[in-house]
Amino acid sequence: MPEPLLEVTDLTVDYQTEAGDVRAVDRVSLTVEPGEFIGIVGESGCGKSTLLFAVAQLTSPPAHVVGGKVLFLGRDMAEVGPDELRQMRWRDYSVVMQSAMNALNPMKSIGAQFKDAMQAHSEDSAEAIAQRSAEVLELVGIDAVHLKSYPHQLSGGMRQRSMIAMALLFTPRLVIMDEPTSALDVVAQRSLMTKIKDLQRSLGFAVVFVTHDMSVVSHYSDRVMVMYAGQAAEVARTEVIFERPLHPYSRGLMEAFPSVRGPRRALTGIPGRPPDLSHPPAGCRFHPRCPEVMPACLQREPELLPVGGAQVRCLLYESAKDGS
Amino acid sequence: MSEPPALDSSSADVGEPLLQAVDLTRHFRIGRMSSRRMLHAVDDFDLTIGQREIVALVGESGSGKTTVARLFAKLYQPTRGEIFYRGRSVESLRSRKDLLWYRGETPMVFQDPFSSLNPVFRVSHGVMRCLILHRPELSRAERRQEAERVFGVVGLSPEMLQKFPYEMSGGERQRLGFAQALAVRPKLILADEPVSMLDVSIRAGILNMMASLRDEEDVSVLYITHDIASARYVSDRIIVMYAGHLVESGPAETVLSRPKHPYTQLLLSAVADPRERAPFISADTGEPPKVIDPTEGCRFRWRCPVAIDECSRITPRLRPIGTAHEVACHVAVPEEPGSAEATG
Repeated sequence: MPEPLLEVTDLTVDYQTEAGDVRAVDRVSLTVEPGEFIGIVGESGCGKSTLLFAVAQLTSPPAHVVGGKVLFLGRDMAEVGPDELRQMRWRDYSVVMQSAMNALNPMKSIGAQFKDAMQAHSEDSAEAIAQRSAEVLELVGIDAVHLKSYPHQLSGGMRQRSMIAMALLFTPRLVIMDEPTSALDVVAQRSLMTKIKDLQRSLGFAVVFVTHDMSVVSHYSDRVMVMYAGQAAEVARTEVIFERPLHPYSRGLMEAFPSVRGPRRALTGIPGRPPDLSHPPAGCRFHPRCPEVMPACLQREPELLPVGGAQVRCLLYESAKDGS
Repeated sequence: MSEPPALDSSSADVGEPLLQAVDLTRHFRIGRMSSRRMLHAVDDFDLTIGQREIVALVGESGSGKTTVARLFAKLYQPTRGEIFYRGRSVESLRSRKDLLWYRGETPMVFQDPFSSLNPVFRVSHGVMRCLILHRPELSRAERRQEAERVFGVVGLSPEMLQKFPYEMSGGERQRLGFAQALAVRPKLILADEPVSMLDVSIRAGILNMMASLRDEEDVSVLYITHDIASARYVSDRIIVMYAGHLVESGPAETVLSRPKHPYTQLLLSAVADPRERAPFISADTGEPPKVIDPTEGCRFRWRCPVAIDECSRITPRLRPIGTAHEVACHVAVPEEPGSAEATG
C-alpha cells in the first residue's frame, strides 16, 4: 500500500462571528490515495466548501482551523510557510473553483492568464509557457487558438474546461474541484465529467470533487463522502453506497433526483432545511428531517462507525452492532 | 408513497387553449448599431398551452428558451409572428388596464431566488404589493388572509411573511416566488428554470408543488429547464428546443420513451443516473451553435450522428410522427405499428 497522498484527520473549522463560533466542519477525516477520485456530497451549507478550503490552506477570517491535521505528501500543511505554500499551490495541488465566470479575469485572454500562473511558479521561457499552455488546452478538448480568446467569447462549458486546463499546467498530484459542473447544461456536464475522468486516469492525479448532486459523481468516483451539517454522515466506496446507502440522509439524496428511465415514481426529496450550524440540533443533527427518527436520536449524538464496508454516523446501526 | 404527480392529469382534454404562439420569431442585432448581423434567438416557434397543464420547454443555454418566456411575458416584442392569449392578440394589449390584466394572468417566476427578491423588505412586502396592484378590491384584512392562503398553498408557514429574504433558504425563496405569482390569481405561470439554482435535495419539493398548483389551483405552468429528467417528472407535455428551433414536441412519456430527434436522444443519454450502470458514451462536448445569420438547413447537423445531405440544404419542418408527437428532422421515421407496445 503506498503512502496516502492526502491525510486529513479530525479537521475542525470554526467561523468566528459576533454571535459566537459556528462550527462549519466538525472532526472530518479523509484519506486520499494517489490517483484516487473522491466525491464529497452534501447540501448548501453543509461545510463541504469550507472543508475544501481548509484542505487547500485557503481558509481566511472569519474562518479558522481550530483542530485536526492536514498531511499532504507526508507534510503537515499547518507548518508549511506562506512562501513554500505558494510554491506548492499549482505545482503539487490545484483548486478549480465553482464558477468559472467569476474565477477568470474578464480583462485578460485565456493565454495571458495561463502565463501569469506559470510565471508565478516557474522560470520557464516564453516559448515553453506558450507550448505548455497550448498543450493543456488541447488536453481538455479546446483548440489552442482560444488562448487568444477572452472569457466572454467562450461558452460556459469552455470556460470551465479552461479552468481545469489551468489547474493542470504543472500536472499536480491532487486537483480539488468545487462544483465545477453545476452551472452547466446536462450534456456539457456529462461531457466535462467524462473528460475529467479520462485525464485523471491518463495523468494519474487524484481528485477531490465536491457536489450537491449525488448522481453527478455516481459513474466517476472511487469513494464518496456524504456530509451533513459539518460532519461526515457516511463514507463508502461508490458502488457500495449506491447499491445500499445506509444513512437515511444518503438515501434521501439518492431518491432526490428524477429518472428518465423506468416507471415514474413520486419523489419526496428531503423535507425541511439544513440546520443552523450556530445552533445545531441536539443528538443526531439529522433527526429533525429524518424519516426513521427514534427517541434516542434526540438524546445522543452518533459516532462515525464502520458498518459492513462503509462508515456511517447513525444510531440505527449502532444498536445493530451491539446486537451482533 | 403517493402517485407520481403528473399521471393523474391527462393532457388529452385541455379545453380552449390558454396561450398560443404562431410563427414566433425574435432576432437580436449584435455588434454596433450599424451592424446588420442578426442573432436568431427564436425562429418560427409554434406552441399551444392548454388549461391546467404543465408544458416543459427543454433546451440548453442559448437555445432560446428564456427568450420565448420573455416574449410571452411581453418583456420583448416579437420580430415576427404572434402570441394569442385566450384568443386575444398579446401585441394589441397596450392600455395599462389590459397589461395589468395580462400580467396578472401570466406571472413569471425567475431562476435565481437570491437576486430576484428585494433584500431590504420583509417577505410580505412583495406579496402585498402584488395584491394591492392586481386585486385592489381586497381590504387590508382580506389581503392578509389571501397572503396567508397562498403561503399555505406553496408550503410555507404564515409566520414566514414576517421574515426577510436572507432568513430564508433557497427552496423557501423559490416557494415565495410561486406564492407571489399565485397571489394574483394567474392562469399560467411562466417559470424560467425555477429549480436549477437549488440543491438537488429540495428540487423535488418544488416540482411536486408545481404539480399541486396545477391539480388544485387549476394553473398551467410553462416549465423551462435544461433538465429533461425533471421535465419528465412533472410535465404533461415536453417541447424540445435547439438553437432557436422547436425540434420535438409531444406527451412527456412518449417523448421520453420514444425520442425521435437525435438531439432529444443526446439529452436523454446525458442524464446521470446511478441506478443505471451504463456510462455515457458520446464525444459531444455540449457546445451550442451560434445562430448568427443562419443559412438554410438543420441547426443540429454539426453535432448530429445521423445527418444526411438534405440536412444542410433544407431546414426540417415540424411534422407529425405519432399521436400528438411531432418532430423536425429529415431522418426520423415513425414508429412501426405494433412496436410501440414493446418500447413503451
